[in-house]
Amino acid sequence: MIDSLLFDIPQLLGYQFFQFALLGGIIAALATSWVGLFLVLRREAMIGDGIAHTAFGGIALGLLLDIHPLITALLVSILAVFGISYMRKKGLAKSDAAIAVMLSLGFSSGLIIISIAGGFNVEIFSYLFGSILTIDHTDLLIVSLLGVASICFFGIFYKELLAMTFDEESAKVTGIPVNLFSFGFNLLVASTIALSIKVIGVILVVALMVLPGLAALQLKRSFKGTMVATVGFSIMSVVIGIFLSAIYNVATSGVIVFTAAGIFLITVVSHKLM
Amino acid sequence: MEKQVVLELQHVDIVRSKDLVVEDATFSIEQGDYVGVVGPNGGGKTTLLLAMLGFLPIKNGSIRVFSEPIQSFTAWERIAYVPQGAIQVDDHFPLTVRELVALGRIQRKNIGRPLKKSDWEAVDDALHLMDIEDLAVKRLGTLSGGQKQRAFIAKALVRNPEILILDEPIAGIDATSLENFYKQLSDLNRKKTLTIVIVSHDLSTVFCRMTKLLCVNKKVYLSDITKESDPNIILKKVYGDHFHFVFHKHECTGDFHHD
Repeated sequence: MIDSLLFDIPQLLGYQFFQFALLGGIIAALATSWVGLFLVLRREAMIGDGIAHTAFGGIALGLLLDIHPLITALLVSILAVFGISYMRKKGLAKSDAAIAVMLSLGFSSGLIIISIAGGFNVEIFSYLFGSILTIDHTDLLIVSLLGVASICFFGIFYKELLAMTFDEESAKVTGIPVNLFSFGFNLLVASTIALSIKVIGVILVVALMVLPGLAALQLKRSFKGTMVATVGFSIMSVVIGIFLSAIYNVATSGVIVFTAAGIFLITVVSHKLM
Repeated sequence: MEKQVVLELQHVDIVRSKDLVVEDATFSIEQGDYVGVVGPNGGGKTTLLLAMLGFLPIKNGSIRVFSEPIQSFTAWERIAYVPQGAIQVDDHFPLTVRELVALGRIQRKNIGRPLKKSDWEAVDDALHLMDIEDLAVKRLGTLSGGQKQRAFIAKALVRNPEILILDEPIAGIDATSLENFYKQLSDLNRKKTLTIVIVSHDLSTVFCRMTKLLCVNKKVYLSDITKESDPNIILKKVYGDHFHFVFHKHECTGDFHHD
């Protein structure tokens, strides 16, 4: 078995589909884990899940109208983010309830659209659970653009986002336009989710957002250290997941999430032992 | 030499949810003052501070900050404020003391740019000032209450303010740390001529260390604290005639301002 592994890896790396998968996966891993760490620290992890499920409606809409589903998913995700914050701001619903409303609205409209269209089974399935090994040029371009956008946003406004996440009130006093940054951050959450749909699928996006950050938090490092570890764990999960799934022909998203959960478990146990 | 007036209030009324909380406050604070703010709970101490910081609108009267009307004042980086309960933070948040203090260097001007070398030097200076250099790489969640408090004051001081406003910073600190803490503030006050306004329930410390007393109980009285000050005469104005505070001069040990 080890022999076949060593034999497979160089061969796999030679295939263009595999190179695309690795590249797209790493970009998605970078973006989701960063956003995810901030979401975890803001205690808003489930927003990721809510928006991803809402995006399902967008995917169905894209397939129906013959627009690239990632683009419609992005638009619907953005709507979902602002829907949730609107409901919270106006006091219509608390965070978790607002997420539940959006999630069910998006998912049910997705179901209606699918049944009207007479079902696009295979394609829908690939967006629900991801299909990174079938990622094409256009997908990779969209994933790269959104990934670079979110990586830039984080790179540039890292300290402001940290200040806001730690203490929003005092960040305001410091002179940071908190509302503007919240707006930007929300856009980023939406775009990160849209870009990771192809990699991991709407159902499991939240795992890739939360698990690496949570594992990194167990290490009890500085903020910088935690961020580096988060990104490291995330890329590790995705790369290992892609290799194992290609070699053993099992669902990529399943293996990625399983690996991420394994890393989390290891950090918890090793911290307890130390 | 005439001292510069840094905060000036004239006939200020402050209303919060329809109640008049502060009435006709008139006083001025000069550069280098070390002001203890005392008064019963609910007497309006925090409200008064928030109005002086421009966070709360005033109903009547005027506030001038560094000789400028508060409505048009913009140089807020000259004033640092540590609110009540600042140290109640999420202990699991991954942030070291040095990273916390560095957050204080963020300004409107450097948004979107990394902190410069001079910023990090200011961070290390602030850590040194509060005597917490050895805690620099410790995570906030691992510190004691007193250490956290000093870290947050370092975060306030790192902006090089001219006025430091602290709202009840000392809850949950043991007596020894408390003494150290007040000693450090006294040093800052004298060496850096930092103006300090601090809400405190610790009347002995106020009378030992501070130069002015601001009594707040809807009405506001400012008095100088001198060796001859009789605390009871001043305090009865706010706490009522039944109030009696046992204060012994010999409680003031160490190098205090009017020794």
